[in-house]
Order: sequence, then structure tokens, then C-alpha cells
Amino acid sequence: MTFQKIQIIAFYTFKELLKSKILINVFFVGLLLMVMTYVATEFTYGVPERVALDFGLGMLSLSSIAISLFLGVNLLSKEIDSRTVYMVIARPVPRYAFILGKIIGLVGIQFVNVFLLSLMTLVVTYVLGGNISSLILWAIGFTFLESILLLLVVVLMSLLANNILSSLISVVILLLGHAVKETQGVGFVQNNPFVKTILEIYHFILPGFYKLNLKDFVLYKTALPLEYLFSSLVYGLSYSAFLLLVIIFIFNRKNID
Amino acid sequence: MIKFTNVTKIFKSDILSQPFTALDHVSFNVPEGSMVGFLGANGAGKTTSLKIIMDFIRPTEGEVLFSNSLGKNKLEIFKNIGFLPERPYFYPTLSGLDFLKFMGKLSGLSLNQINDEVKKWAPIFKIEFALNRELKTYSKGMLQRIGFLATIMHHPKIIILDEPLSGLDPIGRKELKDVIIQVHKEGKTVFFSSHIIPDVEEICDRVIFLKEGKLVYDGSVNSLMQSGKTQDFYISAHVPPDFVPHIKPKESIKFPDDLQKFLVSPELKNEFLSELITNQFNVVSVEMQKPSLEEIFYKTRGQA
Ligand SMILES: Nc1ncnc2c1ncn2[C@@H]1O[C@H](COP(=O)(O)OP(=O)(O)O)[C@@H](O)[C@H]1O
Ligand SMILES: [Mg+2]
Repeated sequence: MTFQKIQIIAFYTFKELLKSKILINVFFVGLLLMVMTYVATEFTYGVPERVALDFGLGMLSLSSIAISLFLGVNLLSKEIDSRTVYMVIARPVPRYAFILGKIIGLVGIQFVNVFLLSLMTLVVTYVLGGNISSLILWAIGFTFLESILLLLVVVLMSLLANNILSSLISVVILLLGHAVKETQGVGFVQNNPFVKTILEIYHFILPGFYKLNLKDFVLYKTALPLEYLFSSLVYGLSYSAFLLLVIIFIFNRKNID
Repeated sequence: MIKFTNVTKIFKSDILSQPFTALDHVSFNVPEGSMVGFLGANGAGKTTSLKIIMDFIRPTEGEVLFSNSLGKNKLEIFKNIGFLPERPYFYPTLSGLDFLKFMGKLSGLSLNQINDEVKKWAPIFKIEFALNRELKTYSKGMLQRIGFLATIMHHPKIIILDEPLSGLDPIGRKELKDVIIQVHKEGKTVFFSSHIIPDVEEICDRVIFLKEGKLVYDGSVNSLMQSGKTQDFYISAHVPPDFVPHIKPKESIKFPDDLQKFLVSPELKNEFLSELITNQFNVVSVEMQKPSLEEIFYKTRGQA
């Protein structure tokens, strides 16, 4: 019953977002990819397929981050501001079903984006003679997971602060989440127990986005230990589940007016 | 059917702002099968009350009780409620039909049932031609009508409407009122808010009256009229211009052709009449002074 309601909300959310023409970026990124590849084949010696792969994965990552940020921050707040949310929660629909439906609808859009862009990247890389390693597929999957994790951070923030502030905080959390690994290795931090502890606490609480970033490995390696991949996967999934629970907890108690 | 029990709502937007009491220990009852008007000036607390009934916001104190005929848990109860928010806003890029499908499915209707309902109501609401257009192209009246369709399509036992008639032109109001009456005749309980008294007076049998967050009246429209009635009578008669009645009327108005209209209190009515009759004056009419709900409304507003 409720499962069906989630599906229905996800479906119409997807349909509405689709009409917002957000996926038009796929077209432009694709075009840019072609141009870049052409330039690369003409001017770089030996490694055009690497340029294509590097560029394609970079664009994939950037566009999915942008989608999470821009659509995520409006996902619930726009519904609340414009009071369309009343239409839905005045029906026999639990609030958590509304949340899940909205998020799944947006993740659907995200999936289409990731799917199309990575397909283009893989085709171009392959045509240029590149090798499609399983690591590349992992990297793409992790980019998708990263965008979901970021989306949940944004949605959570949007329940606590206004749109501008919540986007800003989310970007900071994203950047820190990527930087935290490198900072831990820095000598200053190693020699400074206080800073080290702070970073460890941070690391413990806030999402370690770096765990889902395989792009740096992709260009130079063809495989990573499965253990590493799986632990990152489990980390990303469980962190997402945790955020989702917090979002539902807050939304259930929220006065919607 | 719905029992609003001792509800207080205090808004406190942030730490710095003054707390604001939007509802102050309000209790009322929406009886099954009734058509209840929820009256009050802008800011009286009508929307806040409805939001509390719909569980959009939580009361600071008090509770809302639903009768068993609506259901045992929230999902069952909400299946039997049709709610139309104030100034409803719709997903702009969905088509009218998609919107109805979305809402119908959420209320548990099958696609066939939805299509049947749309076939039945769309011509009545005159939105048939626009069902495949995006909602952002709809006029205010069309939105209100499609919103109303969505509110009744799942055959709720009670419909709750927040200012359904506001912003409509006179024809639109009349049309929507007629459908509300029709839906009520089919056995649905209707509870709608309005700050326009004639609408309520015209179609409701009960009225709940809020003023600045406090309940000032809950009862039948008739007894509200009674309560506001002074019981005075207007007596019209043809009398000579120099006629000075033995009993002094509260008011007298002269009309052409020696017609005069006197306002007399009920105790003196018969005596006054017998004087006229003894003098063989022609009594044209005797009528009870009957204020409109509007007069009572503004009188109540003026108090305290
Ligand atoms: N979220 C809120 N925060 C502060 N005050 C509010 C809030 N919502 C409503 N109010 C105030 O409560 C009062 C009642 O509002 P409302 O219920 O919308 O009145 P009505 O629907 O009868 O016009 C108004 O004075 C309004 O300003
Ligand atoms: Mg209102």
C-alpha cells in the first residue's frame, strides 16, 4: 500500500523534474565531449582516450553534483513554500512516503544523467581504443552513490536552514569530505595531536566523500582491491541510510505551514 | 465527526519574536451529515484550525478527535477526507489529467475509477477541454474547480475546504456553491471556511464563528439569527400625516401615500396594532425585524 504511494510520488516527481529540462545538460556535455575528444586526437600524442575518459568522468561528477545541489535544495522546500505538499499529505500518505517518493524521483533523474553521460564517455573511450576496465564501472557507480549522498546532505540542510545557506553548507561539507583524507596525511596534522583529534572526530561524523572518489585511480590503475571497494560501498550506503532516517525523523515532526 | 477539543496554538517564529496566540482554547464539533460554515475575518485563525485538523501543524495544547465512522488510524481517516487548501497551488508542469491521476492514485483509486470520476465531473466543472493542458495555463477559476474535483473524486465522507469561493467571479461562486450543495445532498459532511457571510448564510445549516483566535459561536444558523434578533416588529399602515400614536414607536419612517412604517417592541406590538385597527387605519404588513447574518457578524465583531 504505502510502497505503492512511494512509487506514485516518485513517478510524478520524476515526470515533473524531467520537464524542468535539467537533462539538457546531457546534450551539452555530450557535445563538449565530442569537441574535446576531437581536439585531443588532433593535438595530444598517444593518449586521446585518456583525455576523453578523464574529461567524461569529470563532467559526469560535476553535473551530478550540480543536480544534487540545485534540485535537492528545492526538492522539499519548494513543495512547502508553494504548499503543493498539502495536496499530497492531505491524502492517506504517511510523511515518510512523501519524502521517500520525492527523493527516489530525483535519484531517478540523477540515474538517467549518470547513465547517459557515462555511456557517452565509455563509447568515446572505447572508439578511441581505450580499455574499459571494471574499475571505470566502479568509478561511475561511486559517482552515482556520491551524488545520492550529497543529495541527502542537501535535503537535510534544506529542512534546517534557508536555501542559500543550506546549499553553501552542503558545498562546504562536500569539499571537506574530499579534503579530509589528504589533510590527515599532512605533517603538521600528524605532529599536532589536537588538530588530529578534531579531524578524526570530523571524519567520524561527517561524510567522507573521498571514499567514493575513484577518478584518480582510474587513469593509472585497472583494479583496486575488492575489499577497499566493498568497504567504501558499504560506507556510502549506510551513511545514506543514516541521513535518510534523520531526514524522515525531522520531517515527521515538522510543522508544515 | 470531527471534534476540535480545547485547542490552543501559539506561534513563535524565532527566539526574538513575541509569541502569538492564533487559537485560544477553541472547541467545536462538526456533526456528521451537516454543512458547516467556518466564519471569521482574515487572521481569525480559520486556516490554522484546518491545518491542525489535517495534522500539518501540531497544536500547542488540545487535540482533534475523529469519529469512528471516519476510521481508526490516520491513513484510514485521511482516506475519508477531501481537503482543498486555501489558494491551492498546483504542480505547474503537470497536465490537468495527470494531476487528477496523481491525486486519485494517492487516495487509492484505480485508473478505471479515476477515469470514471473524471468523465462524470469534468463536464460539470467545465474543464474537459483543458485536461491535457499543463496546469500553469489554467485560470484561477479552473484551478479551483479542478482542485475541487480532486477533493471529491475519492468519495470522501467529509470535505474540508479552506476559502473555496474566494477569488472567484460571481458566476464561478454560484457554480461552485451549487456543486457543494449537490455533494452535500449526496450525503457528505461539508466543512468550509469563509470570511464572506452571505455564502455561509445561504448554504450552511451550522456555523462556527471565530474571532481573533477565540470561538464566539457554534450552533445552527437559525439560532444565531435568533440570538441576533431584537424581536422587534415593523408595522406598516396607511395613517393620516398628523397621526400621533398613543404608544411611542422606537422608530417611524414616512413613505409616500400616507404610508408609515413603525418599529415596535414585541410586548407593545398587539396594543399598537389595536390602536391602528380601532382607528380603522389600513394595516399593510407586520413583519419581524430579521437581521442578516452579516449584521450579526459585524455586531459580534464590534463587541469586546
Ligand atoms: N507560522 C506562523 N507564524 C506566526 N504567525 C502565524 C503563522 N501562521 C499564522 N499566523 C498568524 O495566525 C493568525 C491566524 O491566521 P490564519 O489561521 O491564517 O487566519 P485565517 O485563515 O482565519 O485568515 C494570523 O494573525 C496569522 O498572522
Ligand atoms: Mg485563511
